[in-house]
This record gives sequence, structure tokens and C-alpha cells, in this order.
Amino acid sequence: MGLLQGASELFPVSSLGHAVIVPSLLHWSFKQSDPSFVPFLVLLHLGTATALLILYRDQWVVIIRGFFTAAFRGQIKTDSERLAMLLLVGTIPAAILGVFLESRIKSLFASPYVAAGFLVVNGALMLGFEFMRRRAERVALTTSGGLTTSGRIETEEQFAQAERISFKAAALVGACQALAFFPGISRSGVTIGGGLLAGLRHQEAARFSFLLATPVILGAGILEVPQLFSSGVPVGEYVAAAVLSGIAAYASARFLLRYFRSGRLDPYGWYCIAAGLVSLALLGLNL
Amino acid sequence: MKSNSLAVGLGVLGVIFLIIAGLYAIGVLQIATSTTSGPHIKHAVLFVVLAVASLVAANFARPRTA
Repeated sequence: MGLLQGASELFPVSSLGHAVIVPSLLHWSFKQSDPSFVPFLVLLHLGTATALLILYRDQWVVIIRGFFTAAFRGQIKTDSERLAMLLLVGTIPAAILGVFLESRIKSLFASPYVAAGFLVVNGALMLGFEFMRRRAERVALTTSGGLTTSGRIETEEQFAQAERISFKAAALVGACQALAFFPGISRSGVTIGGGLLAGLRHQEAARFSFLLATPVILGAGILEVPQLFSSGVPVGEYVAAAVLSGIAAYASARFLLRYFRSGRLDPYGWYCIAAGLVSLALLGLNL
Repeated sequence: MKSNSLAVGLGVLGVIFLIIAGLYAIGVLQIATSTTSGPHIKHAVLFVVLAVASLVAANFARPRTA
């Protein structure tokens, strides 16, 4: 579960959806209604957040410094200060929706059938994001002199870096994170997609998504940890799973940042549609 | 958009958020919570974040004297 969570958390394929579907398909004796299930998942998320903190440790130092400098000065002067404020603006809608809606939505939809269905929806969303992005690329290429033969990396360079996203777009991308409360909808998928719609390069959309996810995952994780210790669960095993989750997340993030230099969301979209349909069929046949 | 009244409004909002955070933290406020008693740390943390954001926005909205 730790490896599965860590690997699927940052890939745009919905870790929660996989965490709900896979144990059901493999008949693991893992009760999703168990009170320790959510804290366990949160502990795995904590492993992921730690991996992201390690991956972006230098950037986080600059971002935190930039936040305090800009906050006290009352003015943004550098890219890192702007990024810090963008992350604050992007985190607020997700935090509000998370606190007030997360448990209600998750309890309503915590069924493998629903998760498989939403996985198909997630795939369609990924393909939709890329469809709109391709249209934007054609417009960008036309306006920049019709360089229709340019390569993927050159095409990507027509788009912006994370620091240049507007505050309104950052808030919208942040709010998109709330869609991930539906098991099967990927947090990184919708935020990367949102970033693409806001005009970011794929790699920058992924970076912004990972940076945006870190405080929310970390905050939720820290707040849930006391529940884990009070419910009499095997903490040692859970912590080991969290470490595995962190290792898988670190490797995933490195891979994805490299992949998105020229790669697109399409393969993940097709994977989600296929995985969702196959899961629905297997669950329906009760295999 | 910079104005003194906007800055004051955001500052007041920040203080209100801090008070709400305190009320959630000590368990006085039970609005939109899953249980009807006890402290709600998650809600309290959210309102602290909102308070910080409001106070930062208030500082941004304050007109500068060159």
C-alpha cells in the first residue's frame, strides 16, 4: 500500500482511487471503514509530503523567506516572493473546501465502484486538458510566426513558468484540488491540468502542482497523526509503509519532472480510462 | 488597489478570523464540524491561515508614503 500510494500520489492517476480499488480487487483484508484507514492514508501522504519537501528543499527555503519578506514589506519584488504568495492564494481554497467538505464527500463516495467510475472521469479530464492545450499551442505557434515544425521542447517554451501565473488562476488551480476528494479524481492531474489551462509549461504545471500539494498534504497529515496513535494500530508497520511511500513519491516526482519536459497527460488519461473500465468489469464480475 | 479603508477592513477581518480560530480551538464554536463537542484543531488552523492571509493582504493594500 505504501509503494502504491507513493507511486500513484504524484502521477495524475488518483492515489485515493487506487487505494480504494486495488485492495478490493486483490481481496486484501483492509477495511476502508476502519477508523485507522484514513489516518493510515494520511500517514502515507505524510511520507509523500516529506519526499516533496526533500525534493524542493532549496526552493522551499527561498519561498518561505520570500513569503516573510513580501508579507512584511507589503510588496512583491522578486519571483520567489510572487511564488510564495501564489502558493498562499492557491492553498486557501483547497484548505477551506478540505476542512468543510472532505470527510463528507469521502464518506459518500468511498466505494470501489464509484472510485472506478471517477477514474474513467479523471482520464477524460486529462484528455480534455490536453485537447485544450493543443488548441492553445496552435494559437501560440500561429501568433509567433507559424513555426509549425518546431519540436515539443520549443513549443513548451512558448508557455509560462509557475511564477508568472495570475493570482486568480492560482486560486482556481488551488480550488481544483478539492476535486480530488472524489476517489478516482487525481489531485496532481487536475492541478497540472489547471496549470496548463492557465498557460504554464507542462513541467512548470507539475512543479506548481507539487509545491501546492505540499502544505496541504503536510498540514492534513500532521493534524491526523494523533488519531493514528490513539486508535491502537500497528504504528511501526504504518511508519514503514510511510517511508516506502516517500521513497516511491520521490522517484515518481523526479521521473515526472523529467517526463513533462516534453511529455503530455494523454498516456495517464488513457491509463485511467482503461483501469477504470477494467476495474468496473472485474468488480462487476466479482473476480 | 491600495486604500486605507481596504487595509483596515482586511485587518479587522484578520482579527475576526483569529477570534474564530480561538473559539474553534477551545471548543466553543461547533459550526460545520463533524462532532458536536470538543476542540476542532483543523478548523482552528484553517482560520489562523485565513487570518494570516487577511493580515498580509491588509499590509499589501496599505498605501505607501514615498
